[in-house]
Amino acid sequence: MNIKVAALTLVCCLPAAALAQSGRQVQTIHLPAGVTVQYGTMSRAGTMFATIDSDNVVRVWSTRSGELLQRLADGGHPPADVAFSPDGRYLAVAFEFVPNEKSVLKILNVDSWKVEHEFAGPDVFGMAFSMDNRRLALTNFGSVTQIWDVETSRMLADISPPFGGSTSFAFSGDGKWLATADGDGHVRVFEAASGKPRSSGTEFVLEPLAVAFSQDNKSIIAGGGDKTVSIIDPETGKVLRTLPKQPGLILSLDVSADKKQVAVIYGSADSFATVDHLMLWDLNTGAVLADFQKPGITIVGGAFVDDHYQFAALSDNQLGVWSLR
Amino acid sequence: MLARREILQKCLALGSIVIASNYSADSMLFAFQEGEKPLPKPTPPNPLGPFYKRLTPVNNILRTPGDPGLPLTLSGEVMDTRGDIVPNATIEIWQTNHHGLYDIDGYRYRGKERVDAAGAYSFESVIPGHYPDKSRVCQHVHYVVTAPGHKPLVTQLYFATDPAFEGDPRKNYARDPLLQTPELIRPVMLTGEPNEVHAKVRFELCLERL
Repeated sequence: MNIKVAALTLVCCLPAAALAQSGRQVQTIHLPAGVTVQYGTMSRAGTMFATIDSDNVVRVWSTRSGELLQRLADGGHPPADVAFSPDGRYLAVAFEFVPNEKSVLKILNVDSWKVEHEFAGPDVFGMAFSMDNRRLALTNFGSVTQIWDVETSRMLADISPPFGGSTSFAFSGDGKWLATADGDGHVRVFEAASGKPRSSGTEFVLEPLAVAFSQDNKSIIAGGGDKTVSIIDPETGKVLRTLPKQPGLILSLDVSADKKQVAVIYGSADSFATVDHLMLWDLNTGAVLADFQKPGITIVGGAFVDDHYQFAALSDNQLGVWSLR
Repeated sequence: MLARREILQKCLALGSIVIASNYSADSMLFAFQEGEKPLPKPTPPNPLGPFYKRLTPVNNILRTPGDPGLPLTLSGEVMDTRGDIVPNATIEIWQTNHHGLYDIDGYRYRGKERVDAAGAYSFESVIPGHYPDKSRVCQHVHYVVTAPGHKPLVTQLYFATDPAFEGDPRKNYARDPLLQTPELIRPVMLTGEPNEVHAKVRFELCLERL
């Protein structure tokens, strides 16, 4: 389906109230000359945005003022990933020490920017904190998925899938469970403390690329190459229901604190080349609450803040902070 | 920037392309493989994604008549790190079409095959295109190889003729952000009449035992 036709179809199907909803840019972050953003993540409260930049520097920005809060570099070692703890107290930064083999992880206190924990882990492609900041899930690009204890800097469990690695993971709000979206087409759930498997869902045909727990921990929301948001029972791994399929690949999912909404970031239909489409869905009714698409921008991360979804988008060497409600 | 003709000339000089007549193609390929005699070390892994698709049907003819692109035969053997043939391996491959696009909704350019008693496999396809997004990712074919008693292998095959390597893949392999070794870049043999050129690539796969 042509993307313009798809967009038209969506608009035609939207309830009248949704048509009035739109995104608006609320702040601009000016990047240094010649620097481009390679990856970015929003703190859960929406006050900070961390970027991995083309000059091998991690920069942390205030989304309120657009000011640079901190600049982190480690002797030229390229940053591989960056993640805020859910309470915004910590920032984990993985620096690639031995290419495709080993990373050094630094966990910094965001108030002082002092390193509080540091340990060597596997080559890191993605990471996520548990809600209580005690555990960190790590994955490399293709094979290893592990759970680490932050305080002791010790690996608790290796939960690597049979092949293909994990593309996304999320801890449950109570910290008991970890859900993984795996390259072999499965969404798996593990006990976070031990790595013991809880369930494994095989209803994805194409690889899931994003996964999130609902705030009450009673369901998992996942999506990816199948272009369909699936709501999954974490106990059984079965898909309970789905939201209507969209033209684009699902690249990111966020669930609102009131567990009523899910924000879905879509790529283009058959590649990761374009990331300019964001939809807010009502999780209970499956209704579209807001639909935002702006050609020329690249959405790089967001979070629910109060009554709106705040996200960062790159265009023309500027990072825009946007609000969608 | 090298012109296409210059790239081809350089590839020929470096042995990245072998042009041969039909009747001597296999013998020349065999000679090339024999001359190279790869050590029985595991095939380097390469990332799975994107777009691995479960439930790929058993099929080794991925090309249909009239498909655009240079016809390609992929073949090889599956062995283990002792050099023993692995006769019960299953190989899944997937790739973009000539225009650099994956089939997300169906199973075009996706295939699965069980190797024969000699550990041999072959697929009929076309040389995949570059991604249309101007990324630095080179032309490639994804492989997942599984066999009882062996560690699954996830890797990708790259083509020495890819213009990104400028005829010198050993020197320029890192131009693809996912390539950490030139070992996954294989020579391309061109065979057939001038108006029916066909590419052949051998890719031997070595699995680690569990």
